[in-house]
Amino acid sequence: MRRTMLYLPGNNPNMLLRGHLFEPDGLVIDLEDSVSAGEKDSARILVREVLRRGEFGACEVTARINGTDTEHWRKDVQAVVSCGASGVRVPKVESPQTVRDLDEEISGAEAQAGIPQGSVKIFCLLETAFGVWNAYDIAKASPRVTAIIPGGEDLAADLRTSRSREGTELEWVRRMLIVVARAAGVDALDTVFPHVSDDDGLRREANFVKQLGYDGKSVVHPNQIPIIHEVYAPTEREIDNARRIVEAASAAQARGLGAVSVDGRMIDAPVIRRARFTLVRAGLASDSESKG
Amino acid sequence: MEPADLKAAQAGTLESMDCLVTITGPVEGRVIEISGNAAARFKTAMERRINDVLDGFGNSPTDIKVGVQDNGALDIVLGARVEAAYARYIGRAGR
Repeated sequence: MRRTMLYLPGNNPNMLLRGHLFEPDGLVIDLEDSVSAGEKDSARILVREVLRRGEFGACEVTARINGTDTEHWRKDVQAVVSCGASGVRVPKVESPQTVRDLDEEISGAEAQAGIPQGSVKIFCLLETAFGVWNAYDIAKASPRVTAIIPGGEDLAADLRTSRSREGTELEWVRRMLIVVARAAGVDALDTVFPHVSDDDGLRREANFVKQLGYDGKSVVHPNQIPIIHEVYAPTEREIDNARRIVEAASAAQARGLGAVSVDGRMIDAPVIRRARFTLVRAGLASDSESKG
Repeated sequence: MEPADLKAAQAGTLESMDCLVTITGPVEGRVIEISGNAAARFKTAMERRINDVLDGFGNSPTDIKVGVQDNGALDIVLGARVEAAYARYIGRAGR
C-alpha cells in the first residue's frame, strides 16, 4: 500500500530517524529540494548511514535523488541503492530516455552491491508539461517503474499558473495520469498538499484523488498521515461486502467452480480483486494476498 | 621553516539529534574534543566512533583536531558527520 509516502529532509537526523514512527506507508528520504547545494555531500553520507543502520518499521523506504540534469544524481543512486533503499524517486522526468539512463545506473549499483537485478523500483515525478505529455512512454520505459506522480509547484509554474486550494490547475493532469498509470500497470501517487494546517482542505483533496483512483498521496507533515489513512479506510459495509465476496470466491475455487455468486449476483474477477484490495486497505489482508 | 596553512572544515548542525563537527589542522597528533550534554556519559564511545571513522579513510589521519558539539546525535549520525567533515577537510567531499 502507498496511501501515504512521507518526505524526510535528507540532512535532518531527527526526521530521518523518527519519520517511521508516524506510520506512513512509505518514506521518501529527500536528497533534492530539502537539501541546500552546499550540503549535498554531507546529506548523502548521512542518508547512506541511516539507510544502512536505521530502523524503518513496516515502511517502504525510498529516496528522492537529485535530477538527472545535475552532477549529483549518479552519486545519489550509488549511495541509496547500495544501502538498501527499495525505490528511487526521480524528479522532473521528461522522457523515456531519462528512465532508461536511471535504470542502467541502478543496474550497475545493484550489481556492485550484490542486490538481485530489478529489485530497486523507480518512481517518476512528472513536473513539466512535457513530462506529463510523455507519461505513458515514461511509465513503460523500464519494468522498474512502479509509480508516476504529478508535480505540484514545479508543474504549476511550468503550466504558467500557480497552485490554488481548489487544485483547478492540476485537475486535468490528475485525471490524465490516473488513466496513464492504469494503462501502463503502475501506481498513481498524488502530489503533496502543501497547506499543512488545513486539515479540511487536505481531506477534500484526498477524497478527490481517491475517487479518481489514486493509490495515495505524498506527504510533507506527519499530521497529514492519519487524515489520508482515514480517507482511504473502507467503511464497515465495504469491508463486510468485500469479506463475503472473497469468501465466496475462495469457496468456489476450492470446489473447482469458475463462477462466483454473492447475494444472487454473479461476481467477476475485477470485483474479487477489488474486494481483496479493500481488505488490504482495512488491514485485514496482506498486499500479496490481494494480488493472489 | 614556514608554518603550514591552517585549514578547517565543518559538517552537521546544532539541531536536536545532530552534532556539529569541526576539523582543524595542522596540530600535533589527533586531538578530539567533545562538548554537549552527553559528552561526559558517552565520551569513550564517541571517541571510539570518531577514531573508527577516521581510520576508515586509510593512513590513520593525524595532525588534526576534531571538535564535536553534540546535541543528542546517535552513533550513526556522529559517524556520518565526522566522515563528511573529514572528506571536506581533505577536499574529498562526496566520496
